[in-house]
Amino acid sequence: MITVSALTKRYGSRVAVSDMTFDIAAGRVTGFVGPNGAGKSTTMRMMVGLTRPDHGDVRYHGVSYTQLRHPTRVVGSVLDAGAMHPGRTAREHLRAMAALSSIPARRVDEVLHEVGLDTAADQRAGGFSLGMRQRLALAGALLGEPDVLLLDEPSNGLDPDGIRWLRNSLSDFAANGGTVFVSSHLIGELAMFADDLVVVGGGKLLAAEPVAATLARGETIVVVRTPDAAELGRLLHSHDINCSANGDRITATGTDLSTVSQLAFDHRIQVIEITEVSRSLEEILLDMTGASAEFAAA
Amino acid sequence: MTAITIPDTANVRPTATRIVTRTRQNDVAAVPAAITSEWIKLRSLRSNRAIFGLTVVAGVVMSWVLATFVKTDPYEHKPFTVANTFMTATWLTTVLAVIVGILMYTSEVQHGTIANTIAAQPARWVTVAAKATVAAGFGLAMGVVGIIAGFVSAVASGMDMGDTSGMAAAVAWGLVLTSLAAVLGVGIGMIIRHSSAAVSTALVWTFVIENLIRSLAPANLSRFLPFSAANGLLSIRSAGDTTETLAAALSRPQDALLFAAYTSAALIAGTVLLYRRDAD
Repeated sequence: MITVSALTKRYGSRVAVSDMTFDIAAGRVTGFVGPNGAGKSTTMRMMVGLTRPDHGDVRYHGVSYTQLRHPTRVVGSVLDAGAMHPGRTAREHLRAMAALSSIPARRVDEVLHEVGLDTAADQRAGGFSLGMRQRLALAGALLGEPDVLLLDEPSNGLDPDGIRWLRNSLSDFAANGGTVFVSSHLIGELAMFADDLVVVGGGKLLAAEPVAATLARGETIVVVRTPDAAELGRLLHSHDINCSANGDRITATGTDLSTVSQLAFDHRIQVIEITEVSRSLEEILLDMTGASAEFAAA
Repeated sequence: MTAITIPDTANVRPTATRIVTRTRQNDVAAVPAAITSEWIKLRSLRSNRAIFGLTVVAGVVMSWVLATFVKTDPYEHKPFTVANTFMTATWLTTVLAVIVGILMYTSEVQHGTIANTIAAQPARWVTVAAKATVAAGFGLAMGVVGIIAGFVSAVASGMDMGDTSGMAAAVAWGLVLTSLAAVLGVGIGMIIRHSSAAVSTALVWTFVIENLIRSLAPANLSRFLPFSAANGLLSIRSAGDTTETLAAALSRPQDALLFAAYTSAALIAGTVLLYRRDAD
C-alpha cells in the first residue's frame, strides 16, 4: 500500500502539486492520468525522493522512500527512459545500478532476459531505439525485484508488440501482488489494463477510483434510425427523456437501449436501426480535466 | 481537499517484510557498494580510458621532446637529466585528472543518470564519498602511469640519470596532487553541473585567470592560488618567476595542505548544493 498524503510542491508562485492525497493498492495496476502540466511527473519524482515536497509525504507501508534501507528493492521506478549514458553498454549500465544497491550481478542477465534485451546486452545505449531504451530502463527498475513499480509514460516509443508485452508484464506483476503505478497520456491504452485511476488536473487530485467507477461517470447515448423520427421524439420527450432529431435519426441521452426500443415497440413506431453508445474513458477524462488536446487515443 | 482511497485488494506479495528503515550505520556500510558502482561507471566509458591513455602518451612525448629537442634546462643552464624531466607531464596529468573528476558528476547530470543514483541511494553523501574515493584512486593511477611513462621515455631517450635524491619525494607529492585534482574536479562538477561549462571554467581559471592574477597580485598573495600550490608541489618554475615569487613560495607540505583545502571546499560546497537542489 502506498499512501500519498497532502503532497504539495510549489515552484515560485506556481503550484505544481496541490494538497494531493490518495492511496495506491497492492495487487492492482493504477493509472495516473492528467494532461501535460497536471503535476504527474512532479508527483512521481516526489514519490522517489528526487524532488522534495513543500508539504506532505509519501509512504510505503508507513515508511517514506528516503528512509528505506534498500529503496530499489521495494520500489522500482522509471521516470526518464532516456536516463542512461550513451557510451555505456546495457550490461554495464545495469551492473552499475545493481552494485549501488548491493544487488547480485546475476540479476543483470536475468532482467536483460526479462525485457528481451539479451542480444543487445553488450551494445552501447547510444545506439538503442527509444523502445529499447524503455526496455532497458524497465530492466533497471526490475533489478531489485521490487514490490512496487512506478513508471512514467513507459509505453512511449514502444511498437505495438512492445506495448502488448508491457501491458502483459505489468498485469502479471500486479496479479502476483505487486503494485503498479503508471502514468500515461494514452488513455485508450491505459484503459485496457489499469484497474484503478488517479486523475489529476492543474496540480490537483480530481479522482482516485476504480476504472469502472470512472466509466460509470459517462452518459450512455441511444441512437435510433426511424422513418417516424418526429413521433418518436415527441414520445421520448413525453417520458422525460432528452433527445434530439437529425433527419431520420434520434439521439437520446440519459436512457438505455431497452427502454427506447420498448417504447417504440409499444407505440408501433418502426425502427430501422438502434444503437447504444457509451462514452469512452478518454472523453470522460477530457471532461473531468477540462483539457482539450492533451490526451490521445492509443 | 478530499482524500479518496482505492480499496486494497489481495496482496499476496510479502511486501511488509522488505520494508526496513535505514540508519546512519547502514549508510556508512553502503559506501563500498557505492564505490563499486562508481568504479563500474568510470571504467565502462571509453572517454575515461582515452584520457588514461593520454597521460601515458603525454609522459612519453614530454620526456622525449625535452631529451631530443630542448636538451638544456633554461633556468639551470644544465643538460636535462632523467631526475629533472621524468615528471614534466604530471602538470598535464593534473589538468586531465580535474577533467575526469568533473565528468564523473556532470555526465550523470547530462544523461539523467544522477536521478537513478540518488533514487537508489537517498543518503546523498554516500554518493559524494564514493565519487571522491574513485576519483582519488583514478587520479593516483593516472599520476603513476604518467610518471612511469615519463621515466621510461627519459631513460630510453638517453638522458643521464642526474641527482636522484629528490625523486621519491617528487613522486609522492606529484601523486598527492593528481589524486586531489581529480577530487577537486568532482567538487567543481557538483557545483557547476554542466560538462562543458565546468571544464571550460576549470581550464580558463587554470590557464588564464590564475596567470593574470599571478602577474598582477603581489607574490605573497598569489602563492595562495590553487594552481600556484600545484606548481609548488611539482616544483615547477616558469618564465614569470622572480626573486620575489621564489622567496614567497610555500613549502611542499604547505602547498599540499592548501590544495587539499581548495579540494575540500569545492567538495563541501558541491555536497551542500546536492542536498539543497532537487535531483535532475
